[in-house]
Amino acid sequence: MIDFEEELKKFHPSLEIEDAEEAIYNHDLTDMIDILIKMTDKPKVEEEE
Amino acid sequence: MICYNCGCRLSEHNFCTGCGVDVSLYKRIMFTSNRFYNDGLEKASVRDLSGAIVSLRQSLKLNKNHIDARNLLGLVYFEMGEVVSALSEWVISKNLRPKKNIADDYIDMVQNNQSRLDTINQTIKKYNQALQYCYQDSEDLAVIQLKKVLSYNPKYVCAHQLLALLYIQTEEWEKAYRELQKCCQIDANNTITLRYMKEVEHMLSPEEGTKNAPKKRGSSEKIVRYQSGNETIIQPLNVKEHRGVSSLLNLGLGVIIGVAIACFLILPGRIQSAKADINKDLRAVSEQSDAKTATIDELEQKVQKLTDEKALLSEELASYQGTDGTLQATDGLMMAVSAYMKAPDDIKAIADYLEALDEEGEEAEEHKTDAFTSLYDSLVATVGPKLEEYYYNIGYSSFRSEDYDTAIPNLERAYRYNNTNGDALFYLGESYFYTEDYDTAKKIFAQVIDDYPGTRKASSSETHLAEINNAG
Repeated sequence: MIDFEEELKKFHPSLEIEDAEEAIYNHDLTDMIDILIKMTDKPKVEEEE
Repeated sequence: MICYNCGCRLSEHNFCTGCGVDVSLYKRIMFTSNRFYNDGLEKASVRDLSGAIVSLRQSLKLNKNHIDARNLLGLVYFEMGEVVSALSEWVISKNLRPKKNIADDYIDMVQNNQSRLDTINQTIKKYNQALQYCYQDSEDLAVIQLKKVLSYNPKYVCAHQLLALLYIQTEEWEKAYRELQKCCQIDANNTITLRYMKEVEHMLSPEEGTKNAPKKRGSSEKIVRYQSGNETIIQPLNVKEHRGVSSLLNLGLGVIIGVAIACFLILPGRIQSAKADINKDLRAVSEQSDAKTATIDELEQKVQKLTDEKALLSEELASYQGTDGTLQATDGLMMAVSAYMKAPDDIKAIADYLEALDEEGEEAEEHKTDAFTSLYDSLVATVGPKLEEYYYNIGYSSFRSEDYDTAIPNLERAYRYNNTNGDALFYLGESYFYTEDYDTAKKIFAQVIDDYPGTRKASSSETHLAEINNAG
């Protein structure tokens, strides 16, 4: 049986067009390749130190 | 594929030939990202939009620069009615690759049409409002708002799902089922939709859940279920129709329904149509009548005007042709001249015609022409002395016989034809004196005294004047 209150919690307000700019700025664009680069860069820095 | 360290094109080896960095992991990440993109593309092509979103997000988590994956993710969002999310993805895509990017076209498509953009914004706001109503337990208002949202954007999956949830809450299973079917047409494999669908199907046919599988198959063999537009048609099979009496009953029922439809639906329409036609005709006739009335009024005014003009012209003509007109005066003068021409010694006849001319009065004087006056003066100059003598004789004999009414006009005419005839003037004054017209008598006696001083006429006139003054 579906619980209306619980199901309702799964629906969130949609982003309005005015909020689009903020959403784009707050978009987390970090990907796996960024992490890989960081990981590969870290040993190099430690070696230089 | 390009080396993330130096930008050199990578070969089949697991290291960069340019800088020597190990790219095995990098290559694996890129391949996995591409695999997720392909998976997302396949899912999107079979309308598993939710699945496509998951795959494309995974692809972008591995490689944020996968432009195709990002653009496709935007398209999938747009198809599901999530316009702002779609725009966000396309804007990021455009920033990552400013040139030769189809996201540019997508953004233009949405932003260049201002009315469409407004509609999208209104849709989102109404959806959020509907959600707010739901939180405030105003389900009926939320349903109305969501229906508006879906009329603007029929592909808004979240709105369909929320509406279906509200219908489920109010146990309107058929409506919920229809909404969920619409969701399935847009997004075929949405988990929420499928869960709601299962619940609704269970409620619509509860026996299917309780019965065994063979029985279920048996029951499903008795019906045919198919989709017609938004409706699911469930048609029973192998149902024998009762013929005979039931056919007649159905026929009778059909006739009654037909008659009822004719009476309640068709007939009022016809009556309304006939009334409208009659009103239209009546209006046309009324307009014609008004136009004719206006024409009649106009013609009556014209008739009145013409009648007035006719009366005016008749009066004018009468003034020319009547006893007071020039024509009559001319005739009188011509007759007098004619009488003189025929018998110059017949003064009486000439005098009669001229008297008639004199009686025509002052109005005739106004119409007399120069030729008339000239002829008249010539005639008077010719026969004037004879006329003076004629009138003086009559006037004097009448005075002597004390017939002053006859004497006065004849003496006046005698003096008019010869204003040196003092006797005529004196006897005229005496005639007025004896008829007791003292005012006129006084004027004439004064004129006699002035014109003929020292004569017997003057002294007699003075005597009469004294008498009049003494009497006054």
